[in-house]
Amino acid sequence: MFHGSGLFALLLMVLEWTRPGLSSPLRPICDLRVLNHFIKEAWDAEAAMRACQDACNIATNFTAPLTRVDFDDWEAMNIEEQAQEVQSGLHVLNEAISSLQASNQTDVLQSHIDASISNIASIRQVLRSLSIPEYVPPTSGGEDKEMQKVSSISELFQVHINFLRGKVHLLLANAPVCHQGVS
Amino acid sequence: MTKMRSDRLKIVFMLCLAFITIGGQHFESKVAQLLRDETEDIKCFVEVKDLTCFWEEEEERNNLHDQYTFTYSYENKNKMACVVSSLSLLGSNKTVFFCKLPKTPFFTPLDVQVFRDGRVLYSRSLNAENFWFLDPPRNLTVMTSGKEGQLNVSWLPPLLKYIDDSLIYEVRYAVEGSNMGKVEVIKVSTMLVLLGLQPYTRYKVWVRVKPDGVAYKGYWSAWTEPVLGVTQPSGTCFLMLLETKNLFLLKKLWPDIPSPEHKFPGLFTIYKGDFKEWMSQNNGSMWGRSVHVYTEELPSPLEVLSEVSLTSHGTSQREERQAVEEDKEKESERSDSGLTDRWQEPPEAYCLVEQLRALQENPESLSQSLLLQSHDTYVTLNQNSQGDDERQVDDVFEETLPLQMLFTTAGRMSLNTSHSDLGSLQQSSGSGRLSSQSSFEYPNHTWPPKGPGYAYMAVADSGVSMDYSPMSSSRIAALGRHRMYTNDYKNEIFLHKWPLSGQHTQSGSESCMGPGW
Repeated sequence: MFHGSGLFALLLMVLEWTRPGLSSPLRPICDLRVLNHFIKEAWDAEAAMRACQDACNIATNFTAPLTRVDFDDWEAMNIEEQAQEVQSGLHVLNEAISSLQASNQTDVLQSHIDASISNIASIRQVLRSLSIPEYVPPTSGGEDKEMQKVSSISELFQVHINFLRGKVHLLLANAPVCHQGVS
Repeated sequence: MTKMRSDRLKIVFMLCLAFITIGGQHFESKVAQLLRDETEDIKCFVEVKDLTCFWEEEEERNNLHDQYTFTYSYENKNKMACVVSSLSLLGSNKTVFFCKLPKTPFFTPLDVQVFRDGRVLYSRSLNAENFWFLDPPRNLTVMTSGKEGQLNVSWLPPLLKYIDDSLIYEVRYAVEGSNMGKVEVIKVSTMLVLLGLQPYTRYKVWVRVKPDGVAYKGYWSAWTEPVLGVTQPSGTCFLMLLETKNLFLLKKLWPDIPSPEHKFPGLFTIYKGDFKEWMSQNNGSMWGRSVHVYTEELPSPLEVLSEVSLTSHGTSQREERQAVEEDKEKESERSDSGLTDRWQEPPEAYCLVEQLRALQENPESLSQSLLLQSHDTYVTLNQNSQGDDERQVDDVFEETLPLQMLFTTAGRMSLNTSHSDLGSLQQSSGSGRLSSQSSFEYPNHTWPPKGPGYAYMAVADSGVSMDYSPMSSSRIAALGRHRMYTNDYKNEIFLHKWPLSGQHTQSGSESCMGPGW
């Protein structure tokens, strides 16, 4: 009898643990100070890369998102369009910065690169907590969001900071979940 | 020549009008500030959602805005032109040319250029979101806080949708009339409580705003117009005023009824008020007992001086008053309404000033004023011995006498007369403590007046100085005919003059009389 109840408890624990397809919902992270922290680190990375100049001049092209924001145009977009623009941009940025990890950089620059990758992942978690739609890669033949080409690490990190300050900040600051019940 | 000047003035006027129309009320001031502070040739700022760039040129006859071309480009796109406007600065021989972008791109590098006669004059690359130049905060309000040394400051943020979560404010405050001020920085919130301020002081407050530098950057806005606020008086003064007022009302409603019973043990309980019988039974024993009975009740005569005419008084009065002032500085614990501790604290100078100011402004309200101190069982002594038309009919002050008395305690003034005599207030200062119970004997006309306009009365604590000295029966009878109010009167002013009741007993009545205490 004892063995029966013990097995039953163990089974419950295993089932609870391996509950498939269900993740506990994240509490909405509406505090902009979280994003501001990542933006400040992006400022530091951009300043470090700008000072790097010749040492960081890798002869390669990076695909990076467009960062330009027109407030009237942005306001005219719905939340799904805004989310798609942000999520695709983060995806592309992540790929571009991640490609630098393989390059031979100084420890200081490498730390900035690692921090930027980590922060992008954290920002995605924040967006998930706000029920922002996830990134959907374009289907074959479909048009992706307009991108740009950058030819230096310094320029890449300028795109990085501008993207976080602009589109990401606007999306988080006006997330519907954070303004529910507010007229 | 006259026509040319007239035409020119019209142009300047129209340009200024257009200037004001195109920009806001703060536009010109922003341009002026950036002309002073910004070193770039092309100076740019964002007011609401659009970027404005301008540059300055020496005023020349043929220096028209048509010669200039302003272009901007971003994201490697083709350059776009912007319409150039111009205006002449008042009081200057320079002309400002400016362009307001019709659709400003944010969060991307923007390349701007100025051409004159086809040649690049100036160029610059900037991000528009880094050059916010906001209007000052609106509706600055300064309210008195309910707590000492605090002011509540609040304002409204600039009317911008996306940037309001990314603003910081600077609050500047200074005592009115002072050039020394302090600054507090606050993020996002549009209210602030200023702490550590001087009590009962007028302060000027200003506020300005700028982006916090994370998502947005920019210049400090202009300061708001100053707003005045007044801090509350200190708690001691305020509570004292409040307590005084409350206790005054209490005294009015429930006056202390003096009772001589404790000074005459058994007089009313055993002898039913027969004083003669009481004396005959206690005469011998009282002498021996007086030392033991009254050791804790040191006789403390009270000298009452008229304040009718201070200038005509001789030095004797000043000496007496000075002695009173010196004695009043010696304070001791007393058990009463709990004001003891507060009364022990030295009053704030401004509290006294405010009381005096209130006196000056509204002297007729003195009888109901807040100056009446709880511990002062004051005696309304009318100037006229009889039929005083100004006599205040009040049950509390039945024992009125034809004198006006002024008590001064711990630097504060209490005056219970409609004759506000600030001169007497200023001269009669000092500290002293009077219990709420006063023991008086008023042998009317016992003490002859010392001089014209001067009435002197010695009010002695009952029992010791006068009651137990050898008295004739006639005097006893005279005392018995008069009302005797024997509230315990402990006037610490004269405490040191009566070290032992025994000595006092021996000194007899003469120690209670005369001005030379």
